[in-house]
Amino acid sequence: MKISALSKYAFINAKLRARISKILPDDLLQQIAKTSSLDEAFVLLRETNFADLEKTYSGTGDLKQVELELLKKQIEFYRDVRQYLDPSAGQLVDSLLIKYEIDNLKNAIRVYFNRNIHKSTDKTIVHYILYETIIQKIPVDLIINAESFDEIAGHCAGTPYSRIIDQYSQDVETNSSLFRMEIAFDHFYYQNLISSINKLDPKDCNITQRLISVEIDLKNISWVIRLKDFYDLTLKEVLAAVIPGGLNLNKAAVEELYNAENFPVALQTSIKYQYPTLSSLMSSQTSGSTSRLLLIHQILEEIRKEETQKILAGYPFNIGIVLVYFILKDEEFRKIRKVLNAKHYGRTEERLKA
Amino acid sequence: MPTIPMTQLFAIVLEKDSRRVTEAILREGIMHFISTTEFNAEGMKNLSTVQPETSLGQVSDLRKRIEGFLHSADIVPKMPREYDFNNHIRIDIKKESELLDKIEAKREGIRDKQRVLNQKILELEDIRRQLQIYGSGLSGIAIPSQQSRLSIKTGQLPASNINQLDDSLKEKPVLNIKLRQENDVAHNIIVSMKRDSGDVDKLLSEAGWRELELSKELKSDEKKLLEEIPAKIERLTNDQKQLQAQANNVVKEEAGNFKEIWVSLRVNELCYKIQTNFKSSSRTVVFAGWVPLSKKDKLSKGIIKASNGYCYLEWHEPGSVETIGDEIPVQLNNPKILAPFQMLVSNFGIPKYGTIDPTVFVMPIYLIMFGLMFSDFGQGVILVIVGLLGASIFKRNEERKNFYQLSWLVIWCGMSAMLFGVLFGSYFGSDLIKPLWFDFHSIVSGHNQNASNSVIHSIYDILLITVYFGISVIYLGLVFNWINIIRAGKWMELFFDKGGIFGGWIYGGGIYIAYYLVSHDYKEFPDGRIIFMLSGLPAILLFIREPYRYFKQSKATAQYNNNFLLLLPSFLMQWIVELLEIFSGYLSNTLSFMRVAGIGIAHVCLMISFFTLAAMTSGLYSILILIIGNLLVIVLEGLTAGIQALRLSYYEFFTKFFHGTGKLHTPISLNSKL
Repeated sequence: MKISALSKYAFINAKLRARISKILPDDLLQQIAKTSSLDEAFVLLRETNFADLEKTYSGTGDLKQVELELLKKQIEFYRDVRQYLDPSAGQLVDSLLIKYEIDNLKNAIRVYFNRNIHKSTDKTIVHYILYETIIQKIPVDLIINAESFDEIAGHCAGTPYSRIIDQYSQDVETNSSLFRMEIAFDHFYYQNLISSINKLDPKDCNITQRLISVEIDLKNISWVIRLKDFYDLTLKEVLAAVIPGGLNLNKAAVEELYNAENFPVALQTSIKYQYPTLSSLMSSQTSGSTSRLLLIHQILEEIRKEETQKILAGYPFNIGIVLVYFILKDEEFRKIRKVLNAKHYGRTEERLKA
Repeated sequence: MPTIPMTQLFAIVLEKDSRRVTEAILREGIMHFISTTEFNAEGMKNLSTVQPETSLGQVSDLRKRIEGFLHSADIVPKMPREYDFNNHIRIDIKKESELLDKIEAKREGIRDKQRVLNQKILELEDIRRQLQIYGSGLSGIAIPSQQSRLSIKTGQLPASNINQLDDSLKEKPVLNIKLRQENDVAHNIIVSMKRDSGDVDKLLSEAGWRELELSKELKSDEKKLLEEIPAKIERLTNDQKQLQAQANNVVKEEAGNFKEIWVSLRVNELCYKIQTNFKSSSRTVVFAGWVPLSKKDKLSKGIIKASNGYCYLEWHEPGSVETIGDEIPVQLNNPKILAPFQMLVSNFGIPKYGTIDPTVFVMPIYLIMFGLMFSDFGQGVILVIVGLLGASIFKRNEERKNFYQLSWLVIWCGMSAMLFGVLFGSYFGSDLIKPLWFDFHSIVSGHNQNASNSVIHSIYDILLITVYFGISVIYLGLVFNWINIIRAGKWMELFFDKGGIFGGWIYGGGIYIAYYLVSHDYKEFPDGRIIFMLSGLPAILLFIREPYRYFKQSKATAQYNNNFLLLLPSFLMQWIVELLEIFSGYLSNTLSFMRVAGIGIAHVCLMISFFTLAAMTSGLYSILILIIGNLLVIVLEGLTAGIQALRLSYYEFFTKFFHGTGKLHTPISLNSKL
């Protein structure tokens, strides 16, 4: 029997809306940014859902330990929501959780890579890797201790990552860079996510596709900025890294961005007809290609904000609320990490804003 | 009860006395300042604002920093009840900031040590994980495979160097396991991570270590390597705790000094906040504000004393032409016992100055409604206990003052439930003692044939009680509205407002007609002339309102519409809509009170259900069902009754007279929030 959207989402909708109201307001984060030490910053988190972080910090003095706790907490949020969803939506949450699994796997492979290929010995990084299972059973310890990529692929046997490691291990050893392997992991993440999205009901599928497409745009623009300006990669290499499925930035648009001619036509059209409120941002004066790319990144973030607002104000009984909750929570976690790190490294409030 | 009478002070003092006058005002803590932007008199516009000696932002930042600093060691600074302004400390912002920086650097140093210790603990955890993967039993020990990050060394050292080795490895994430001592030679196993083996090898060689394969005899010792780890982690954790205490002590040692500085900074901030409402010329300072009339003399004396009599004070009554600003702040004056109900009123809004503060009436209305919906002595006792517990928890917590008031509201509700429980004879859902008024349970269950001595025989009678109660509450609201309108001198509104005399007349007429109809078995209406006098006449009189408003406005603006006939349909339409609103509004308002009976009946039904369920079993199960049932009813029905009583107070009672557009009197005092 097919379950109605109302019975599927009524409870989770009410629950998440109540939780969204508890997301840390920007005012509080600004207050934290104004504090003069990490100890004072943690005091301001006492009355929030992040109160336990202070306990970790005052007990260990170790911000990285706090960040590890934050990561665990973040994964727990996904799992907690998952239990209230039907199987197809639950599968989507698993697909979203893979992001954290891939990041953790990347970290483990980096330890191996630094030890065996770069021959550097960072003693502490292994302590801040997550050893618990997220989705797939991956023996992180064994990966860290491995002697070769073949061995790592063997440890990952039965998971989709084994094939990627096999495929790119030669490239990593030849170029002494994990770049392509990591891009392949990210591509896998989005492919897997899109295939989970396609299994949803048509309405849920449309909403999710739209939000994830904006997410892909954001990821692509971040990459173009990094790959072009910091790694100095060629257009061909950048295009190979681009994730397909963006909303406003297809390959042609990325090519335009790379050549830094102007705002991509696709983005201009989209802003003109779908997000007219952002046209003022588009007309902002910027000099230099990096600032233009950063401006486009900002525009895309605003687009994501508008899309999430639309969902919050729209019909409540669909998967939109779940996705918006994850987006807002991820953003909250990102801001907390950013502000705590800023305090740790003694960055001023102004620097943090910049 | 009307709000407290206020008076406005307009004062001029000498610039040199302004600090002392500010302190006097702060000490009294009764003045609600009028913003300088409201000083519209011609001469006042040229005056400048007062600039404090130190930037308010700097003072505020340092105060907040000290607050955070103290809070991090669980110290909450508080303002003293009395502050000695004569011994006020002048704060050197730069010096205190530097001192804080120094202390924070000291604490940061401790945190660094903690971090190093934490990494050692994590390393031991790492060793434990590695041992679990590669085998931990000594008997099967072999140097682990290349895969492992573990380094396991077996060997011997001179027994005289054991202590030296122990000391040198004590702080390292290394397991030093003693196996056996033979003559002057000790056999040990050293477990560490490979990445630390360079350091470890050096320490071992200093202790005369010689690496050896273990003899079969030694290998047969079933000592578990894993057992050594918890002890070592515990030691390090204890060290961590000591460091954590040290970090707290860094703050605690300076707490006394910083608490004093915090108080001085706060006083400064409050003084600066007061002075933002001052305007100054070259030699004088001008300010204005509202003060409760009863405190007028006290404040006058304080200002005169602070300025040695060199001041000019002018007092204005509310509404006089000399007063500055339009809005008069409101101070509610209710006994402490009514604080929970004042909280309910304030949540809706603040009454406008000079109008009725309904707090004292909300108390009985709310409690009667709650009692009618939730009438059980035993369950009331539970509510009282829960409320008392809440009150004792939140009593001293200023931040949770609302929870304290809420706890008291629960206590009041519990007492109401107890009273109505006695009246209706309900004790945890059973009829232990005969009811004083009528047996609610018997009526709902249809077993009240013997209750001939009571006037309440059926559910309809219970519904009727709530309708009568509703009519009384609505009329009380109307009377308050009339009093408010008379005080404001708005005579037209008194008659023509929806809640005015004509509205009340129509409502009264409607009640009589409904009563007549019901008492004649729904077959007969009163005489037509009576109906006309009760409802028709006031309805026709209401028609005057719109034309009157039109002519009044036209007269004021001197603009008349030549074709008055064209306006007639508009007047007619507005009149009809108004009448519809009055008829449907009052009817729905009255019927709304029937929910009180409905929820009361639901409460009884639930208890009957649980008793029926309990009767189906026996012994412990039966008791358990009754306990769980009572708990469920207390939580669910308690919440429902509380919310519905509030809803009826807000929407059926308050809307008749209470607009909640007033502004609360918020004087700047030593306890003001910053």
